[in-house]
Formats: sequence, C-alpha cells, structure tokens
Amino acid sequence: MIKYVVRRTIQAIPVLFLITVFTFLLMHVGGNPAQRFAQNAKVTQAQIAAFEHRWGLDDPLPLQYCKWLGVCGDKPIVVNALPPALGGGDNGIVHGDFGYSTFDGRLVTDVIAQRMLPTLILTVTAYLIWVTIAILAGVYAAVKRYSLFDSGLTIFNYVGYSLPTFWLGLMLITFLSVPPLRWFPASGMNDPYTTPAFGTNSYWVFFGQNPFFAIFDLGRHLVLPVLTLVTVSIAGDSRFVRSSMLDSLNQDYVKTARAKGVPERRVILRHALRNALLPVITNVGLEIPFLFSGAIVTETIFAWPGMGRQFIESVGHTDYPVLMGILLIAAVSIVFANLLADVLYAVVDPRVKYD
Amino acid sequence: MDNRIPDVSPTTSDAPADFEVALVSLNQWQLAWRRFRRHKLAMFGSGLFLTFVAIAVFGPFILPYDATNVPYPLKFCPGTTISANLGCPPLNGGHLLGTVGGTQEDLLTLVVNGSRLSLAIGIGAAAFASVLGAIVGGISGYFGGWVDTILMRIVDVLLSMPLLFVIIVFAKVFGYGDWRVILLVFALLGWPAIARLVRSLFLTLRTEVFVDAARAVGVSDMRIIFRHILPNAMSPIIVVTTLSVAGFIVTEAFVSYIGYGVNAAYSPTWGNILSNAQNDILVGNWWWPLFPGLAIVLTVLGINFMGDGLRDALDPRSRE
Repeated sequence: MIKYVVRRTIQAIPVLFLITVFTFLLMHVGGNPAQRFAQNAKVTQAQIAAFEHRWGLDDPLPLQYCKWLGVCGDKPIVVNALPPALGGGDNGIVHGDFGYSTFDGRLVTDVIAQRMLPTLILTVTAYLIWVTIAILAGVYAAVKRYSLFDSGLTIFNYVGYSLPTFWLGLMLITFLSVPPLRWFPASGMNDPYTTPAFGTNSYWVFFGQNPFFAIFDLGRHLVLPVLTLVTVSIAGDSRFVRSSMLDSLNQDYVKTARAKGVPERRVILRHALRNALLPVITNVGLEIPFLFSGAIVTETIFAWPGMGRQFIESVGHTDYPVLMGILLIAAVSIVFANLLADVLYAVVDPRVKYD
Repeated sequence: MDNRIPDVSPTTSDAPADFEVALVSLNQWQLAWRRFRRHKLAMFGSGLFLTFVAIAVFGPFILPYDATNVPYPLKFCPGTTISANLGCPPLNGGHLLGTVGGTQEDLLTLVVNGSRLSLAIGIGAAAFASVLGAIVGGISGYFGGWVDTILMRIVDVLLSMPLLFVIIVFAKVFGYGDWRVILLVFALLGWPAIARLVRSLFLTLRTEVFVDAARAVGVSDMRIIFRHILPNAMSPIIVVTTLSVAGFIVTEAFVSYIGYGVNAAYSPTWGNILSNAQNDILVGNWWWPLFPGLAIVLTVLGINFMGDGLRDALDPRSRE
C-alpha cells in the first residue's frame, strides 16, 4: 500500500515538471509584457529596454525558465518562502516564490493570497451545498425509480447540464437584481455604500464592529453566484449518484439482504448506499481542485474578487508571473486530486489491486 | 466526465442478423439507426439541432434585415416614449425579438447570423479535435513502448491544465477576434481527452485476431491503424465527438463573452451578442441577453439528447 502511494507520487513528478515547462512556454508565446507600452508615445525605446532588463525579459528563454524555476539562482534549493526583506521574493518557484507581478509590482504570492479567501468563501459554500443536494437527490431518485421525483430530476439534469454557467448568471442578474425585483445584489462581495472593500484592513475593523451586518451583507452577495454554481453542478453530480446507487441496488448482496428479511430502510442505508458512495467519493474528490482555481466563469459574471477573476484581469494585463502562479496552483492541485482519488479508491475498495 | 464514455464494442461489418430481423440482413450501422430511430429523446434532440443548423444555413437569406446595417435609426420605440437608443422590447415595429441598444440592430437577425459561426466553431473544433485525438491515440495505443510513454505524458500534462484558463490565454494571444484561429485553438487544446479514449480502445483491439491476420499478410502499420482498427473503434468516438460539439459551443460563447473570442465587428456569434448585451442589463433590457442564450441552451440540449441516443444506439450494452 505504502509502496503504491510512493510509486504514484514519484510518477507525478515528471508530469509536474512538464507542467512547469508548458506553463512557462504558454506564457512566453503570450508575448512580452513590455508590449503594453508599445502604443504609448511617451515611453521611449530605452525605457522599454530598461523594463525588459529589470524583469529579465532580455535573457535567453532557457535561462529565464531556469531562473523562474529557481534552480539557476545563487541560493540553495530549499523551500525559502520568506518575505523579500529576509531574502525571499523572486528566488523561483522551487523556493515557494512566484516572483513579482509585472502589472503592479506586488509579490505574486501576495496577489494570490489576497484572492484566495474570496474564492474559497464562494467555492466552498457552493461545493458543500451542491454535493449535499446531489447525493440526497440522486439517492432518493434511485430508490424511488420511475417516480415523479425521478423524472423531474432527470429533466432538471438535462437542462442544468445544458445551461451555460455564464448565461445562467446573466439571467439571474437580469431578472433578480435589476428593477422591478432587485432582490439580490448583482456584483461584488459587499455593499460599497455601507462597508469598506472586502479584504482591506478597514473591512476587518468594520467586520469586528458589526459582525452580524457584515455577514448578512456578504451572504446577500453570495446568493446569486452560489445559486449559479449549484444549479449547473448538481446536474452532473446527481446523475452520477443516481446511476451509482442504481448499480448498487441491483447487486446480489442487496437481494440477499432483502431475502433474509433485513428491513428495507436498513438495506438501502447500510447495504446499498455505503457501496454506492465509493465511486461518488472519488468523483466528488476530483472536483476539489476547482475550489482553489476558482470559478472563473461565475467570478467574472458577478465581479467576485477571486482567483478566476484575477486570472482574467491578468490576461488583460499580460501579467504572466501572476498567470503562471495561478495556472501552476490549479494544475498542481489537479495532479494531487487525481493522485488522492486513486489512492483513496484503493484504500476504500478492497477489490482494487494496487501493485 | 468519464462515465459518458461507453465501452468498446468491437463488431464486424457483416455481423449475422439477429433474430428480430431474421430475414433481412442489416449491417451494424443499419441496426444502430433502427435503435436510434426508436429513441424518442434522441430524435427530438436531433430535430432541435438540425433545425438550428438549417437556420444557420438558410436563415440569413430569408430574414428581411441585414445583420450589420440598420435602415433607419429611430428616436423612440414605436408607440412609446422610450428611447430607441437603448433597444426596443420584442414584438415591436416588426422586430420579433426586439432590437438591441446602440446600433438598433434587429435581435432575431443577429441571433440567426450569429448561429453560423457559433455552430461552425462548435462542429469544426469537435471534428478537428477528434481527428487529432484519433491519430495520436491510435499511434500511441498501437505501437506502445516509448512512443506511447511520450505521447501519454503530453496528454497527462494537457489534461492537468485547467482547460478554460489555457484556452483564454491562447485565444487572447493568437485570436485577434478571428474565428478560424479560435477554432484551431479549441481543437489543438481539446484533443487529449479523445486521444486517451482512442488509446484505451486500441489497447484492447490490437490484440484481436484480425490485426494479427492483417500483419501476417504484410499490411503496413498505418493501414492497420486507420483501416483495420479505427473503424472498429468508431462508435465511442462518434458519441464523444457529438457531445463535445456542445462543449465547444458553450466555450466559444464564454470566450467571446469576455472579449477574447470572435470580434463582434467581424461577425456576430452568440457569445459576442451576449458580451454586448451585458452593459445594458442594468437598464432592464432582458430580451437582449435572453434570446441568444436560449439559442445556445436549445442547441446544446439537442446535442446532449442526440449524444445520449447515439450512445444507446451504437452500444446497446450501455443501456440501463
């Protein structure tokens, strides 16, 4: 078992390495950040050259990659995610440093850290709601197969699966946050007229003074984005839960349990459900990377200041240190979620051989 | 996503007719068509999808308005004192779906014209991605060894990247609003999932006796891959390709919506109509974002029904 985990982890290393190469190349076909000065008549050629030199953009590509990775620097290769004053800052990603944003000069780790909390508030809330509903609805539909609820869920799943996320968000704004209804705010995380911007120091001071109001305000802003995410995500997941539960209900051990007179409730909960949840856990686990990389679509529509929105903004600024940071975090969390799902599956299902 | 991919069903082209059709000899495609025809949802979905294809092909010739040219801008919506500059609601002065703000174009005309590129990108990218995926997956699965290792590591890497993020970067850098480039970007980033599927099919099929037979009489590797094995792996590939058309239509809409897709000045697509619509949502122009989105939903719904029907028809064992 331990051997299996170790081997799978070692197998992930070349993939992680290739991901850094691909991410780096992707950003460098993306053009030079100095391009954004090209249209500006007041910026001289010498200033552009100085900018390029400052950010190491005039180095040959392999050297730039090596520096970004943090292998070519003069510091030893240990995790060194210290603040710039203590020698951290842009020592390279193997040191835990993602460098500086070429747009506003902040540390990429700071930019990402600032966006992480809003993303987690949004995605974790939505995730908990949709996984709970999907499991309950899927199991109920499978148990009451061909009932009105089952057909209703099937129709909902088809429609939900076909709804483009961003359009659903637009429609919710159009009908629920614009006159005449105006039930929920259309964008942002807090009301700009009554509270300071989310994440700033004054926001936390305000939060300490009026915790109930601040939470209520945040909750009101969460409704539409969470509703959007939940609607489109329930569709795929509840369908998966339903078919897994149906499979499980058709197994011989369920028939055996019924035949020997186990109460139906116990058959469903103890015999069928426990086995049906195995594939569901893996499937739901594979959705975890989404919690970190952020709901790029939903965050864009609702101007939610999270990772996905930061990504879109940074694409506009050709700010590739930030883009590489976000992409890398997303890709690495996908690799680890896959790894975790495989290992978890081998742990919970004794039929899976792991050698 | 993987649960949408059906099992392999290797069939020979002249399978013995089953009992149901004892006297008429039908090949596997004719049998599949029979099963597909009986699948009500699938027929409904295909009808929906084909309707939109027909609208895309013939619609622009039938409609009285031009997509980019407004005959006479109005000051007020007919019969009201609402400024026509913000767009007029549906069923107003001969505009079935209303007009859009600013340019005052007819929304129906825009949606119909937009369907051309939206569908072209969806269908084109899915077809191209499948061809690439079939080539890479076929070569990888057939030869195995280091070729397989290298190709599959590339697939692993591409599948570990959040696809939408990468598509946005590429679309912004290379796109410049040109739909052909957008189509290429989608196809060049969309093939790995299909390659993995085709590879897994080839791993089972390459051990079949007919492959040994072909090799024994000296058929070349490329011919074995594309003429002997690939036709037997066709069913799942067709299903996945069909379903990915829906995915690409939605992706195009989002990429155009955030402004890195097809340029609205170049040609309307469902995505860039929505992109222009978002600015006027807050003044209550609900019809502007509603109708292009409905077009997307109906098309995607049709494709999903059709894909599910195809899966049931092409691989009878996968039915519940």
